[in-house]
Amino acid sequence: MAVDRDDVLIRGATAHMVSGIGARAPLGHSEAASGAPRRRAEAAVYGILFSAFMVVVGQLFILAVGRRTDIALAISEPVAATSFSRPDIVDRNGRLLATDLEAPSIFADPGVVLDRDEVVEKLSTVLPDLNASELLRALSDRSRRFVWVRRGVSPGIAQRVHDLGLPGVSFRYELKRAYPGGKMAGHALGYVDVDNRGVAGIEKYIDDKIGVDPVHSAVLSNRPPVRLSLDIGVQHALEDELDDAMRRYHPEGAAGVVLNIKTGEILASSSLPRVDPTWPAQTLNDKRVDRMMGGTYELGSVFKALTLAMALDEGLAKPDTVLDVTKPLEAGRFTVTDMHPSRRPLTVTEVFTHSSNVGAGMLALQAGPEKFRAFLQKAGLLDPLQTEAGPVASPQVPQRWNRVTTITASFGHGIAVAPLQFAAAAATIFNGGKTVHPTFLRKFDAGTADGKPLISAATSHQMAELMRANVIDKDGTGSKADVPGYRVGGKTGTADIASKGGYTSNAVISSFLGAFPTDDPQYLTFVMLFEPKGIADTKGNRTGGTNAAPVTGELIARVAAQLGVAPQLNVVRQ
Amino acid sequence: MRLLNVAAFFFAVASALLLYALNYDTRRLESELQAKERLADRARSDIAVLKAERGTLARPDRIDDLARRLGLGPPKPEQFAYGREVSELNERRGSADGR
Repeated sequence: MAVDRDDVLIRGATAHMVSGIGARAPLGHSEAASGAPRRRAEAAVYGILFSAFMVVVGQLFILAVGRRTDIALAISEPVAATSFSRPDIVDRNGRLLATDLEAPSIFADPGVVLDRDEVVEKLSTVLPDLNASELLRALSDRSRRFVWVRRGVSPGIAQRVHDLGLPGVSFRYELKRAYPGGKMAGHALGYVDVDNRGVAGIEKYIDDKIGVDPVHSAVLSNRPPVRLSLDIGVQHALEDELDDAMRRYHPEGAAGVVLNIKTGEILASSSLPRVDPTWPAQTLNDKRVDRMMGGTYELGSVFKALTLAMALDEGLAKPDTVLDVTKPLEAGRFTVTDMHPSRRPLTVTEVFTHSSNVGAGMLALQAGPEKFRAFLQKAGLLDPLQTEAGPVASPQVPQRWNRVTTITASFGHGIAVAPLQFAAAAATIFNGGKTVHPTFLRKFDAGTADGKPLISAATSHQMAELMRANVIDKDGTGSKADVPGYRVGGKTGTADIASKGGYTSNAVISSFLGAFPTDDPQYLTFVMLFEPKGIADTKGNRTGGTNAAPVTGELIARVAAQLGVAPQLNVVRQ
Repeated sequence: MRLLNVAAFFFAVASALLLYALNYDTRRLESELQAKERLADRARSDIAVLKAERGTLARPDRIDDLARRLGLGPPKPEQFAYGREVSELNERRGSADGR
């Protein structure tokens, strides 16, 4: 445009020289007349160019500042399957329980595969459990460009497949969940699916409440680790002692929990046989169910701790109140008797230490069905319970509370609850009477402020003394749980197992509810053995006092120091 | 005007050269960045593997077994002592040594 304008100006000048002064005015007038629209046109063109330039500048600015990384991903990964990166799981002291690792996955491109039969045949030599017919069918579909062969294989397997040199078979790295502790705390941790998505346990809780990040390749999570309340030292001790109990008493299964009474933190929870989180199919086996949370059981005499707490708190009896337990208690078509009937009346303390069914039934009847039911409701035993590791099996409670159900529930029959739910209710008894909600997450604001009062602090103290008496009294059923110095208290339980039309005569669930140190209870243990066998050491007995109690004693001797409970040395050195 | 045209021409050529240089510089930096990111990813992956290995090596059941072979075990209550008892013991030892 500038050249044209100059050309016009030069030609104008030439005309001016030729025509002389007289011709000057008309020519100048003509230039002035035609110059204005031209300048407007030029201005418009410059304006358009400037606007276009500003659009380019703006776009560059947006690209520079916005950093739209998804554009690059969309171009480079057109067929990528999405998986999820997950935060690590660590125990209360930061020790690793679960993490993501890169693992090669094998895929095939049917459009590039030359000989489908050869590919399937050769892959089967390295992956013997490969579903050959399904892979052959998938490879036959030439419209597909992506078929998974096997996800999350070991580097060794990947190398062997690579060495086969099959065209159209390639690898991509994906995230795979690894559990360095193996089967440790397998039930609580849960497991993930092939896309690294949480399916059960804490892993599912992470998906639902904490969050995982969808990724197109093996990108590790930047999220902070999820810190659990579990202590793997205590967890190992619990699992080791339960293993030992399995060898000694040959039960069908065993379970146990260690709970911080003040905070509700679960320091260890185990159910044997264990499950390996890397083999989720194991959880489908009924025998490997999480007995702590996944099943409900009639727990037997350990329930008397709740019955007596209610009776003492309601002022229905005092520890030295005498009850006539010499006669059986009639309950409908049943007759309630004691395992070791006493020939004399017993005090309330003795009802506890002798584990008298008749005495517990009498105390519950004094309260009445409504009050007893309301107490159990307030203790959280009649409503469903939810933890971070999943829902706890719903309690099975009597539909109608009458005289019979009140008597049977007083000593832990006719009502079935998950052991963890019972442990939480029992912890309430020793937590100054304030309710305890069990949690698998580390609590940094330790305290009992959020608990609702169930019983008074004085009753809570009385119950701790009763528990201690049951361990140190010569007639107490829990003497084998004592550990010098650690002031262990406890209650035994031996429950008949319900079957069709009644109870089995030759199988029991034996258990021991422990608390220590009883002068100010900090920790609660609950150990259960399912269908233990009588052995020579127990003189053929299968009661909680002969098997679950010594297991608890061994457990507390191992973990008390780890948990920071100092032994009372004057007791040890006497 | 001619001067303006010439200046604009040289400006355009200079801009083109600058853009050309910037373009290659950007590509080089991008390549360097990708290499560094790959390195960081590799390092992150290595750290994850090492963490998992350390977790496996520090398994309590493994440590428990090793410790028991060395004659170690959970502390027994009688192995505990109050701080003042330790002080008294040290004092008695000191006086026995003539210190």
